[in-house]
Amino acid sequence: MPLEDFAGEMDRCSQCSYCKWIPFDQMKSWRFAKNCPSIAYYNFNSYSARGRYAVARSLIRGQIGYTDTLRRIIFTCLTCGSCDVSCKVCRYNLEPLEMVRELKFRAVEDGQGLDAHVAVIESVRKDQNTMSQPRAQRGDWADGLDVPRLPREKAEVVFHAGCRYSYDPALHAAARAAVTLLKNAGIRVGIMGEREMCCGGRIYSMGYRDEFTRLARANFKAWADAGVKTVVTSCADGYHAFKRLYPRLGLQVEVLHTVEFIARLLEEGKIPFRSSVPLTVTYHDPCHLGRQGEPYVPWDGVEKKILNQIIVYEPRRPRYNGAWGVYDPPRAVLRAIPGIELVEMERIREYSWCCGAGGGVREVYPEFSMWTAAERLTEAKATGAEALVSACPWCERNFLDAMDGNGEPVQVCDIVDLVWKATR
Amino acid sequence: MPLPKHIYQAFEDIVGPENISDDPAVLDSYRYSLAHTAIHVGPFYDTFTPRGLAVLLPGSTEEVQAIVRLCNKYGIKFKASSTFWSAQGYPSDDNTIQLDMRRMDRILEIDEKNMFAVIEPGVIGATLQAEAMKVGLNTHIQGAGCSCSPLASATSYFGSGPSNLFAGSHYENMLGVEWVMPTGEILRTGALGSGCGWFCGEGPGPSLRAIFRGSTGAKGAMGVFTKCAIKLFPWPGPDKLPVEGIIPAYRVSLPNFRAYTLAFPSWKAWTDAVHLIWETGIGYLAHRQFNMFGRDLKFAMIKILTDPNRTLSDLEELLQDPEVQRVTEESRRDFQIVLAGMTPRDLEWQERALDEILARTGGWKVEAMQEPEIHDWALLYLLRLGHKNLNLVYAGGYDGCFGFLGVPDYGAPNVEEVTEFKREWEKRGAIVAAGGDCMMGPIGGQGGGGTCLWENFTCFDPHDRESVEGTYKFFSACTEYGIKRGWGVGMENWNAAAVGPDGRTPPKEVRDKIHLSAPQPSIYRYQYKIRKAFNPNNLGDAYYETLEDD
Amino acid sequence: MEKKTQLIEILGEEAVLENPPIEESFSLDPTLIPPLRPHFVVKPRNVDEVQKIVLWANQTGTPLVPVSSGPPHFRGDTLPAAPEAVTVDLSGMKRILKVDRRNRLVLIEPGVTYGQLQSELQKHGLRVIMPLLPRSTKSVLAALLEREPPMSPKYHWHVMEPLRSLEVVWGNGDKLYTGSGTFRGEREEDWLEGRVPVLGLGPGQVDYYRIISGAQGTMGIATWASVKCEVFPEVHKLFLVPSATLEPLIDFTYRLLRFRFGDELFILNSTSLATILADRPEHVPSLRDTLPPWVVVVGIAGGQILPRERVQAQESDIRDIAQEFGLQLMPAVPGCRGGDLLKILRQPSGEPYWKIRYKGGMQEIFFLTTLDRTPGYIATMVSAANDYRYPAPDIGVYIQPVHQGVCCHCEFVLPFDRKDGAEIQKTSELFRDASVRLFHQKGYFSRPYGIWAPIVYNADAQTTIALRKVKDIFDPNHVMNPGKLCF
Repeated sequence: MPLEDFAGEMDRCSQCSYCKWIPFDQMKSWRFAKNCPSIAYYNFNSYSARGRYAVARSLIRGQIGYTDTLRRIIFTCLTCGSCDVSCKVCRYNLEPLEMVRELKFRAVEDGQGLDAHVAVIESVRKDQNTMSQPRAQRGDWADGLDVPRLPREKAEVVFHAGCRYSYDPALHAAARAAVTLLKNAGIRVGIMGEREMCCGGRIYSMGYRDEFTRLARANFKAWADAGVKTVVTSCADGYHAFKRLYPRLGLQVEVLHTVEFIARLLEEGKIPFRSSVPLTVTYHDPCHLGRQGEPYVPWDGVEKKILNQIIVYEPRRPRYNGAWGVYDPPRAVLRAIPGIELVEMERIREYSWCCGAGGGVREVYPEFSMWTAAERLTEAKATGAEALVSACPWCERNFLDAMDGNGEPVQVCDIVDLVWKATR
Repeated sequence: MPLPKHIYQAFEDIVGPENISDDPAVLDSYRYSLAHTAIHVGPFYDTFTPRGLAVLLPGSTEEVQAIVRLCNKYGIKFKASSTFWSAQGYPSDDNTIQLDMRRMDRILEIDEKNMFAVIEPGVIGATLQAEAMKVGLNTHIQGAGCSCSPLASATSYFGSGPSNLFAGSHYENMLGVEWVMPTGEILRTGALGSGCGWFCGEGPGPSLRAIFRGSTGAKGAMGVFTKCAIKLFPWPGPDKLPVEGIIPAYRVSLPNFRAYTLAFPSWKAWTDAVHLIWETGIGYLAHRQFNMFGRDLKFAMIKILTDPNRTLSDLEELLQDPEVQRVTEESRRDFQIVLAGMTPRDLEWQERALDEILARTGGWKVEAMQEPEIHDWALLYLLRLGHKNLNLVYAGGYDGCFGFLGVPDYGAPNVEEVTEFKREWEKRGAIVAAGGDCMMGPIGGQGGGGTCLWENFTCFDPHDRESVEGTYKFFSACTEYGIKRGWGVGMENWNAAAVGPDGRTPPKEVRDKIHLSAPQPSIYRYQYKIRKAFNPNNLGDAYYETLEDD
Repeated sequence: MEKKTQLIEILGEEAVLENPPIEESFSLDPTLIPPLRPHFVVKPRNVDEVQKIVLWANQTGTPLVPVSSGPPHFRGDTLPAAPEAVTVDLSGMKRILKVDRRNRLVLIEPGVTYGQLQSELQKHGLRVIMPLLPRSTKSVLAALLEREPPMSPKYHWHVMEPLRSLEVVWGNGDKLYTGSGTFRGEREEDWLEGRVPVLGLGPGQVDYYRIISGAQGTMGIATWASVKCEVFPEVHKLFLVPSATLEPLIDFTYRLLRFRFGDELFILNSTSLATILADRPEHVPSLRDTLPPWVVVVGIAGGQILPRERVQAQESDIRDIAQEFGLQLMPAVPGCRGGDLLKILRQPSGEPYWKIRYKGGMQEIFFLTTLDRTPGYIATMVSAANDYRYPAPDIGVYIQPVHQGVCCHCEFVLPFDRKDGAEIQKTSELFRDASVRLFHQKGYFSRPYGIWAPIVYNADAQTTIALRKVKDIFDPNHVMNPGKLCF
């Protein structure tokens, strides 16, 4: 949908600034009330969803041109979707997240992509990953793991590690543990190894729609060729791409996050715990597993008006307001682990604070990205928890990197790490 | 004309390079559409307030003072706003810099014993309430909701909201104020100026708050308010709201709170009950809130808002439901009230008193609103007042007409007449067909009650030229009708002297005509004198209304 | 001679008195700030005459001193500080213009006193919240404009309450209706249509009644006011919570304020209470020794809806709260029965005015603070009294939470024998010194009478500058009570 198609929304934005705050009903303190990292950091109204609506309107009307400031306004959006959630507490006919994605696409189409992002695209084109690493090393994380290598071997379930898990040695253990847990639970799960390709989610959120489409189609074909029916991943970014973005291109496959799969297996008694993990933890809902992890609902409808001037959709359009994200399975898993005590931060579930890694921000605005992560670390420490647990390697990496110079360290780990420990 | 470089540099030296911008993209995000919302004029299609010269984000009173002094030196107008949810906060003229007070967002103090808080302009009602609740206190939240600034409401605008009757309006709750005057001096009012504390904003002798805060404040046109003490009120609830439910149907259950929708057989009974509630002194908050969706639509809307599976697309179907129709008819003459017991006996007494009042007036509690999920949703909604974006739920545009600000007997007898008037206009298609009566307002405009306000919500589509222009025609007709009926100019044009169809200050002839037709034109002549004395370089705009005809 | 003729022309001969006798003084005013005698006292009958007087004063450069209350006066604000002044005595304008039961509103002229008003209101089932025992000649409007603290903080929504709209003649001769005073409701159909002057704020963006409030007659003359009323209680009880010291009563009182429990709610020391109760001055010391050193006075009222139940519920709750703080809610204490005290409190003070009852003369010190700071001020006052060998037990203390508990009126009454020159001298010195000490201890003299004015205004330059600008707008020729406040 081109940016011009959002012209109605640009005029209909309430200008209420709800997009700058978590849903007010959920506020428990002054300190942890904000939801949008970009306006919390940069402060000018332009860095919020309502601001970006205004900026987009000026852009399509030719009232402004591209400047460094405009590029920064556009590309500091993490596409975390928290603005979308807050807006939709009241509004049923605005899609701020979709609009800002479209704004990024427009900027890239207009040749205004940022150099650091361009470098990422080049890496994706050359080596099918966002990390500027050789493709040949993509499967190294799984060395020694006795699981089918697709497509040489076939399996209906594929574990998609993702670029971050593949190339970040500090996080390899969690990926290995995920695969091993599934295998030990009797699941025939394969991996693509060096043949795995980037999901495209990150570059989509940077504004590179065409490149994303190429990757999506390539991945889908690779799975089809390998007989895959279910894709499992421990990366929330990948999860979101496969579950919510691929179907828009008509590419549908069953998608599960590892934590969903583990929750199911625990219920079936297929993951026995042998040890206690005495740890107080707090759980960080990754944006792309939580509020953006809702089921995909196909929709091809039209906008219409009822009662003179009420904007509705025919047929009824899915809201995608974060109501049905994946919040409970990770919590159920944590609560099932012996010894774990789960304490919640103030901003959780659909109104969770972003880790700061998404939208291409980590690559281009490291200070802002680290500040965002540090904010989350502060919030985690305020709970008294010993560990900050998540279900996405990008979140975990950003938290680890933000730890320096941020006071007392706190442990950062993946849910799978804790499950693994409990099975030893 | 852009801000000259040397002046930009001077401002930058005050706030730092990251807190000033004259980039067109930034400036355009500080323009307000007049095809929009609650600005009491227009709407005007595809019309925006002018671009400012620059946007500044000051971080302290000292920075604000330095900025204002510089403005005086160079003759630059300035306009400060906290949350930017109405045209009132934006420049009305060229040669104006915009101050965004967002960075000054600290709650400096909560004095638990003496029940007040000291806040900066960027503090919003929600965060103040959250912090106050931790110590058993609450803040009044103005009608625009908890996303707005209590300081702005108290010092610069209106201050009325659902909790007026128990909490007092922000006009009443304003204590000591720190004011960077239009010339750059700092005035601290009341006890603060004498170095005694924040607890009293009066005197010594006459109260200087009089010059910037009457029925409304100066709406950003007379200097900048940098700190304010706000009286709080008791919160007999937990230190955090135990919110449940799936978005957007959040709800809260609090054992010593009750949220009722009361309905009455006649408007006389309605007004009788209101008076009895006031003089009995019950009620934690009281408002005719949900009627803003429209008499015909309100219950159906509540069914949507309390069900996470529903959307506006379900509205037409719900309106066909016989049960929805029955409740809609039952709730025709209604308002909401929340009771909160400081002790179990207190709650019991209030419940009994309310039942007695209902018995005497023939009113009743609408049972459908007592269904637990709806009750708990309504309770949370009214306490936190964090869903005021619903004013714009239908299509993103709304404003209010008529108003009838006065004692209940002033407005209530006119409800059906105004309803019919609006219903006829709804038939023309430009505005949402909501049943004519979309009147919302506080049950008690001030502490202890006494007045009501009947803001008739009018919803339209700001993207649709016909809708906007049709709404404008409707509002013009409202004004004409109101004058003819002796009610005066209604809310639809309360700001007609401050902003015109081009989004800018109207010409003097237009402003003078409006002021001369007021019951007491001299109040604007005095405002002119006050402006001359305190803002001699005239660095604000016409939102501080003046009549200069001596 | 010419002035007299002009005044007679405006008002008629019977309304103009030249060279009036010196009023008897019961406070230290004449000692502290030697007054000047007014040249005339005039008694206008209506706002038109008031307006003419003010315009005349502007033309002739004559100082005007408005007064609405009858004597005795205590604070010096109604004594001219400039020569050749004319006292504008409004005490004869004493009509109660309208009582509106439904909207709980009354319209009064400036000369209406509390006794007159309460008895009329009671016929309509209403009452006004009242200060503690105003003198019988005290004008209701004057008390409200002076921001006298009412006994019932729960109704004190802000410091101007229960005053609402006004009709004002400014010092420049302009007439203005403040609040919603244009809805004066002069015709019955106006009242029925709800066009009633129920609002105090505005109109517009200026709060006009706050300019004349606390102004000691330096801005203009109010000739009419609307006042918010409460329902006259069907059931009304008064209780006392005694304590040997003040401190235990502070948190208890805070709790009641927090819950908005109690109607009348204030603290007295035994001296104040004894002075209120005593029939004769010589009874004061013994009564003082019988009474508990400190009491919280708690009234509980029930209106027309289930009054008994309301009073019962609150009585039980307040009793429980008192117990929580180790105190007792009592219907009587040695020397005082709540019911008897209630009868006294419902009316203005009997004669002589209670504050002068003990020794014939008195000087008040009052200021605003917060309740928790009051023990500190009492300690200062006692220390100052000791320094001047003034008998500390003679000092009456009255602590009145205001604005629903956000702040607190703290008052000391220093009785003295006004025929004893040495006592006058000692009390004067104590008064001066204590005032300064209390100010430095952050007591806020929001109503700066007499010697307090220079203390306060010298410490707040910006306020002084700003007030003078306001004065220049509303009284450009400075005819209104020159020499008061900072003018």
